[in-house]
Amino acid sequence: MKILKYTLILMSAVLMACAPKVDRSTAPEPGPAPDISLGNYETFKLDNGLNVIVVQNDKLPRVSYRLTVDRDPIMEGPKAGFVGFAGDLLKAGTENRSKAQIDEAVDFMGASLSTYSTGMSGSCLKKHSEELLELMNDILLNPTFPEEELEKVRKQTLSGLASAKTSADQISGNITRAMTYSLQHPYGEQQTEKTTEAITREDLVAYYKTFFRPNISYLVVVGDISAEEAKSQANKYFGEWEMAEVPELEYPTPIPPKENKVAFVPLRGAVQSVISITQPVDLAPGHPDAIATSVMNSILGGGVFGGRLMQNLREDKAFTYGARSSLITDELVGRFQAGASVRNEVTDSAITEFLYEIERLTLETVEDTTLRFIKNYMNGSFARSLESPQTIARFALNIERYNLPKDYYATYLTKLEAVTKEDILRVAQRYIMPNNLYITVVGNKDEVADKLVRFAGSGEVDFYDMYGQPYTDMEAAPEGMTASDVFAMYYDAVGGADKLKDVNSVIEQGKMITGPTQLDYERKVKGNNKMSMSVMMGGQALMQQVVNGDQGSSSQMGQSQPMTEDQILEAKMQMNMLAFESLDQYNMTAELKGITNVNDQRVYVVDMMKGGEVTSTNYFSVETGLMTGSESTQETPQGDITVGTTIREYMTVMDLKFPSYIVQSVGPQTIEVKLDEIQINRRINDSEFKVN
Amino acid sequence: MRTRALLMLLFAGILSGTSALAQQKQIEFEEYSLKNGLHVILHEDHSTPIVAVTAMYHVGSKNENPERTGMAHFFEHLLFEGSENIGRGEFSRYVENAGGVLNANTTNDRTFYYEVLPSNQLELGLWLESERMLHAKVENEGIETQREVVKEEKRQRMDNQPYGNLLSETMKRAYQDHPYQWPVIGSMEHLNAAQEDEFIDFYKTFYVPNNAVLSIAGDIDIEETKKLIKQYFSGIPKGENEVPRPDIVEPKKTEEVRDTIWGDDQLPMIVQAYHIPAQGEDEFYAVSMLNKLMSDGESSRLNRAVVEEKELALYAGAFSFPLEDPGVTLAFALANMGVDPKEVEDAMNEEFVKAQQEMITEQELAKVKNQIENDFISSNSSVAGIAESLANYHMYYGDANLINTEIERYLAVTREDILNAAKKYYQPENRVVLYFLFDEEAANSMEQ
Repeated sequence: MKILKYTLILMSAVLMACAPKVDRSTAPEPGPAPDISLGNYETFKLDNGLNVIVVQNDKLPRVSYRLTVDRDPIMEGPKAGFVGFAGDLLKAGTENRSKAQIDEAVDFMGASLSTYSTGMSGSCLKKHSEELLELMNDILLNPTFPEEELEKVRKQTLSGLASAKTSADQISGNITRAMTYSLQHPYGEQQTEKTTEAITREDLVAYYKTFFRPNISYLVVVGDISAEEAKSQANKYFGEWEMAEVPELEYPTPIPPKENKVAFVPLRGAVQSVISITQPVDLAPGHPDAIATSVMNSILGGGVFGGRLMQNLREDKAFTYGARSSLITDELVGRFQAGASVRNEVTDSAITEFLYEIERLTLETVEDTTLRFIKNYMNGSFARSLESPQTIARFALNIERYNLPKDYYATYLTKLEAVTKEDILRVAQRYIMPNNLYITVVGNKDEVADKLVRFAGSGEVDFYDMYGQPYTDMEAAPEGMTASDVFAMYYDAVGGADKLKDVNSVIEQGKMITGPTQLDYERKVKGNNKMSMSVMMGGQALMQQVVNGDQGSSSQMGQSQPMTEDQILEAKMQMNMLAFESLDQYNMTAELKGITNVNDQRVYVVDMMKGGEVTSTNYFSVETGLMTGSESTQETPQGDITVGTTIREYMTVMDLKFPSYIVQSVGPQTIEVKLDEIQINRRINDSEFKVN
Repeated sequence: MRTRALLMLLFAGILSGTSALAQQKQIEFEEYSLKNGLHVILHEDHSTPIVAVTAMYHVGSKNENPERTGMAHFFEHLLFEGSENIGRGEFSRYVENAGGVLNANTTNDRTFYYEVLPSNQLELGLWLESERMLHAKVENEGIETQREVVKEEKRQRMDNQPYGNLLSETMKRAYQDHPYQWPVIGSMEHLNAAQEDEFIDFYKTFYVPNNAVLSIAGDIDIEETKKLIKQYFSGIPKGENEVPRPDIVEPKKTEEVRDTIWGDDQLPMIVQAYHIPAQGEDEFYAVSMLNKLMSDGESSRLNRAVVEEKELALYAGAFSFPLEDPGVTLAFALANMGVDPKEVEDAMNEEFVKAQQEMITEQELAKVKNQIENDFISSNSSVAGIAESLANYHMYYGDANLINTEIERYLAVTREDILNAAKKYYQPENRVVLYFLFDEEAANSMEQ
């Protein structure tokens, strides 16, 4: 018994020791903060001016070499893309090796090697480093930019551009850059099919020769390697690279829009809108405000799940899978951007929340808890980033490149801690402009665009194509062509204006068909001011319209009423077969808008306007010159309706062509007029044109 | 390059599985199980003052009721909603306020949660993960919010993404019986129909210590960490339900499945899915090495033939999809503009046939081995990656030490093994072939 009791006591003591009670109700306190120490780096310069930075880290038996050509941004213009091509093609062949040989050599080492417009980067296991450098040396000094490789890359790029047409994210990237920086800026210009086609091998060679120079470049070596070893490798493989003067380039600074602007890129079938709200920001790396603006951006939505955008748009409203913001510093011009992909029906509500959160930054100081939270987060991010030796390399490169104080990163955490909520408000007011934003949306035009009008200072949504050009469904008409030229073509096509002048009267007879109902249709025209039209059923008039000089009446089922002046004028215009030649007589003007496709036919698009407003849009076949149809807006008591007219057939009478089969549609309803007979220059008695 | 970025995005999910680790520097670790069945793995590394606290649950989309697909992934969202002691939305707040990051992901086979924290916040990570395991909040309010978020995730990742339906269309045809046939994100209708009690039941079944691995790596003291783990996790009761594991065996394929998917993506995409052995089997390594020869690097066979020499495609590659049950190799090519997809497929097939007829060269075998060695060494570069690998190796193979030794399985593969694998698996009757083609009408009708 005694033993048992003893055992029990012992056991309960053991059990208690095993599972001590833990207070689950609150989060545990952190232990003492660990020391955060930055790794060191060494720098030296080769005789040819190449700056070398070495970060030694022997945790893994690897080494990497990154060469950065620190040239000014380049405006590529009508050959946009050539700089990128030059980068791609650097490793497409040298005087000593074909592309296949280079690829094989890289892969055989299990290494990686990439080249780009501002340099190249290779990494491998330490034991292969000399072979990798031998390759990099050859690529850097002896590239041949082979024509056939250029064609290959061109073909791939064109395919890539084609596939990008359905990528909402890629298009959003394009339009964001095009708006923020403008198309006339190196950061905003766009590579298109056209600019891609224009690139030549000479462009690549010239770019390489001018800008790939050691005196503006940095070589960053990271990994299981000492500074001494790196120095001897740098001299051996990069020492013979020749220096030369490199041009410096300058550009006007992009400015934000005068008022908020909505830029919309239509994307067929989109189920989400990609929203990107953006403005240029004049803020260089290492600027005294850079850390405070970075804190400000984190509060809004820079990576933190607890950021305001994510909490508001995702966690509270469930509009999106993720909402974020970014603030890029740049020597030339930086950028502020906030965005998300949201479902179509909440696009406008989401933009409202974005604008609210952006403006709020400039109106209120942040809560102390928020600031503490963000600082803690950024502190942790900094510590976590140090896990990768590439981080130290990046810090070193920034210090050298942007002339930052040597202790810029070593004292980063102290500077971060010193940021106050007043600083945040100050930098928000200085750099963020809630009323001067580009609100770009890539999405479903029909479902989304109209609802965005209210965000546009101009009261209008501006449409763009995927390359940031003003959007229209149309291609441009040939240079110099006007509406009059289209009309002249039309008159030639129907038989010639001269012959039309000789037409004194026209009698048309046929059927009007709507649904299962067939009615008799007759229209008589005499001169330019007398017209009579009737629709009959079984000999009884259902509809009649008569114009005679300044008088006109229309009747339906025997109920007659006078026509208005406008209606009479319009009817007169319709009876004048040469009306396009004397539009001012009808207070109309015409404008050629371009060429588009209607019913698989290429047509010129001509808008007819009255008092500056478009009353109808008319289509003329590019191939035949004949009018193929029109769309006009009619006022009705039920509101405006759009009437579509298609001319299906023409009938030839005495060498002149007259529309003989016309289909009109209003919504789902259609009315067809099919003529059986057309007679011209038959005598018509004036008594036929009696106005009631 | 533009197109590369697109493809990387598209296939990042598929490719992330093929990690392998080096023997260069041994990854030391300790492992043990608690009485409630929770398996614990600890790796100590003081080079950076951070720690990765991770929990892997052996539940993925294959464990789902076919009428309730998407539940596993839905839980990945739901379990950030809070617990008895953590308010709604505070989960991420605690982590970020401590200077950490957190996230989670779901595959067909498992769900993985992690926090990377400053090392003095280890206890916070343990508290959070134990709260999630012990008494997470599984309630209507959070369910409703996350339903909408998941729908947005689906729109963003699949519906509004070029070729976003690639995987779902392929797997649906590759598997008739096995649950790999449905996508991890599941059906929105199923999720809408699921009731609160079904969510609670799912939680009680799968989110139990005997179905989980707690893997921690970084700047920790092992003994101290063990003590804390005992405090936070030993009181969590073992699951009462048996954890269901599907034992469905997909019948062997006897004829090729071939189909065309019309959509609004401009360039033709050609996809072939070949059935292959489950990950970890000997032949899986041979298949993976063959795929590496086909796809890894610009000198790889498919790239050289289809992209560089014949100029038929922007990209061509083949990758093993590592799955716990027998999975697939996905071979795919994004055709250049105006190229007949049949021509691209023929060019791909030519490469597979060549691999069946001729043994690969010694030089090629050496190349693939070098590539594997490089991958192995590079993949141990972060504590989060090490913690995940250790958990994976334990969960799937019951041997966490494969983090150090799996490379030997690759290096043991011979040229004959590769030839045999090519012959056995890269056969027409063993595959699904899909063409994703542009259709003006389909594109237009989507607009309405």
